[in-house]
Amino acid sequence: MKLLSLSWTHRDRVCAARETLAGVPVERVLADLKGRGFAEAVAVSTCNRFELYVAAQANQALAAAPILAALEELAGAALAAQADVREDDAAVDHLFCVAAGLDSLVVGETEILGQVKAGYETAKGAGMTGKRLNVLFQRALFVGKKVRTETALASGSLSVPSVAVQLAETIFGRLEGKSALILGAGAMAELAAKHLAAKGVSKLVVANRTWERAYQLAARYQGEAVKWETFPAELERADVVISSTGAPTAVLTHEIVKAAVRRRGGRSLFMIDIAMPRDIEESVHAIDGVYLYRLEDLEAIVAKNMASRAEAVAAARRIVDAKAAEFVAWARSLSTGRELSLKHSEYQA
Amino acid sequence: MIKSLLSWSALSLYTAASIAALYYLLTKNERASRLMLTFVGCGLVLQFMSFGIHLAAFWAYPENRWFLPINNFFGALSYMGFALAAAFFTIEVRRRLGILGAFVLPMAALSLGLAVILADPELAPLAPKLRSYWLNIHPMVLMTSYAAFTNAFGVALALLIQERQIKSRKPTELCYRLPSLDELDALNGRLISITLPILVLGLVMGSVWAYQSTGRAWSWDAKETMSLITAGFYAEFLWLRYVSGKRGRIPVYVSMAGFACMLLTFFGAELCSGRHDFLGGK
Repeated sequence: MKLLSLSWTHRDRVCAARETLAGVPVERVLADLKGRGFAEAVAVSTCNRFELYVAAQANQALAAAPILAALEELAGAALAAQADVREDDAAVDHLFCVAAGLDSLVVGETEILGQVKAGYETAKGAGMTGKRLNVLFQRALFVGKKVRTETALASGSLSVPSVAVQLAETIFGRLEGKSALILGAGAMAELAAKHLAAKGVSKLVVANRTWERAYQLAARYQGEAVKWETFPAELERADVVISSTGAPTAVLTHEIVKAAVRRRGGRSLFMIDIAMPRDIEESVHAIDGVYLYRLEDLEAIVAKNMASRAEAVAAARRIVDAKAAEFVAWARSLSTGRELSLKHSEYQA
Repeated sequence: MIKSLLSWSALSLYTAASIAALYYLLTKNERASRLMLTFVGCGLVLQFMSFGIHLAAFWAYPENRWFLPINNFFGALSYMGFALAAAFFTIEVRRRLGILGAFVLPMAALSLGLAVILADPELAPLAPKLRSYWLNIHPMVLMTSYAAFTNAFGVALALLIQERQIKSRKPTELCYRLPSLDELDALNGRLISITLPILVLGLVMGSVWAYQSTGRAWSWDAKETMSLITAGFYAEFLWLRYVSGKRGRIPVYVSMAGFACMLLTFFGAELCSGRHDFLGGK
């Protein structure tokens, strides 16, 4: 098998070449290569990546130089200097890494899988894929899906607000239709409001000692501002409470929370205390149906997710390596006349 | 011969489905979940076929004609296994909570396993006192409620694990794989609130049958008393959960106590029951 991959990715320090390539329609690239006698080629173009895979028959010569020249002619700019050129095994491995999200700027993002699929389908539609590239890309999509479902690469939030949202979802399921009470109107409160609003929390109530600031924050997220004195009453209705006031002592005492819980008809209450000194008395966590997380709890989860992310990368790497080796063995078997079965391997492991 | 082959195959399938379900819970491997569903589906079909053969043999006695073979432990336990797996299929899977298979399917496998391995599938003419149309209704209704309660118990187990995870402030991967606390709580509550009336209905039918055949509606034998306690625990759960609005572990513990009593009603009370001893095969 002869396979060549040319890539321009976010790893390049100079992004001029990538930007120029992003402006060239994939269809034109494929048509141009076809005109020059290349029978099999797939291009994957995203906002921070351009990849071109070209395959040739075993007896055909395949070099990067003429392909680069063709691309430079199309783009009207010098591209060769920044191109990563990979051959055969390395190219297969690279494509599987890309599909698995291991090569992405945000490792583990899953959008790339759809983009690889789109690139493959465009090439297939243009009649630019033969047996090898068809199988190669189908395997790449398979590897991408396998990594997504079998490793924790795409799960586990890596920031405090997203961990808080994820916890809220493990308590309530979907957050649409839920309401949140935000005590304090500082930067942390704003960040929390933003994340909750993005997740579809339907009602945001802001209480702050300074009415003006509560009003401003509420207005920015289509919420409702209430007088500071009335927040214990609001506690009855809220599902998520985020507290970040600058108060010197706890504002949400055990008695206030207990009284509110009694009137809630058994709904769960998720409380997040990101203030220092604390806003919510620790003993509140012992009340049935109340879950209090403090800033350091959320930070500990973030740290743990970071650590398991490294493990997930290693697990994903193992899948990619194994599947790349399998594909290479298959591609070699084509020329021996005794084709190996790839389908079979899907049911192992 | 074919019947026991079918039963054994169904048992192996339920066991395989339980293992696949456990694997799915631990790894979230989608293929394991598809395998689990396939195994359960095939198991249900095989068990249904085996039931057909058993029924044909049972009806070979003319006096048994049109009565269901639920008069002994074998019949009751195999029906339990069937109803459990079927209830899991229709309730949890349809609500996209197939991940709960790890909690429910082992009980289906266990129930059928007890029937196939331990219980005696004896085929004999029914005792004359059992030859009543009530035999087709009273135990069936109760067994159905038991299967639904067992499903609820599986959900309650998952609920306790999830609640513990969130309370611990150190959630593991499992926490993100299980359905949310509210979903589990709602499902547990709904299952019990639908099933308790079925249990009560079954008990009322039993006492009507008893009144018709012996003239006494209620005789406080062990099984009857135990079943009343079971219903009491579940009613207490519903009261705690929906009337006094309690959350957290306590109502779940109460519902689990109800389940324990249900098991005692089903198995334990056999030993010292006067009126219900026939299930023991006597």
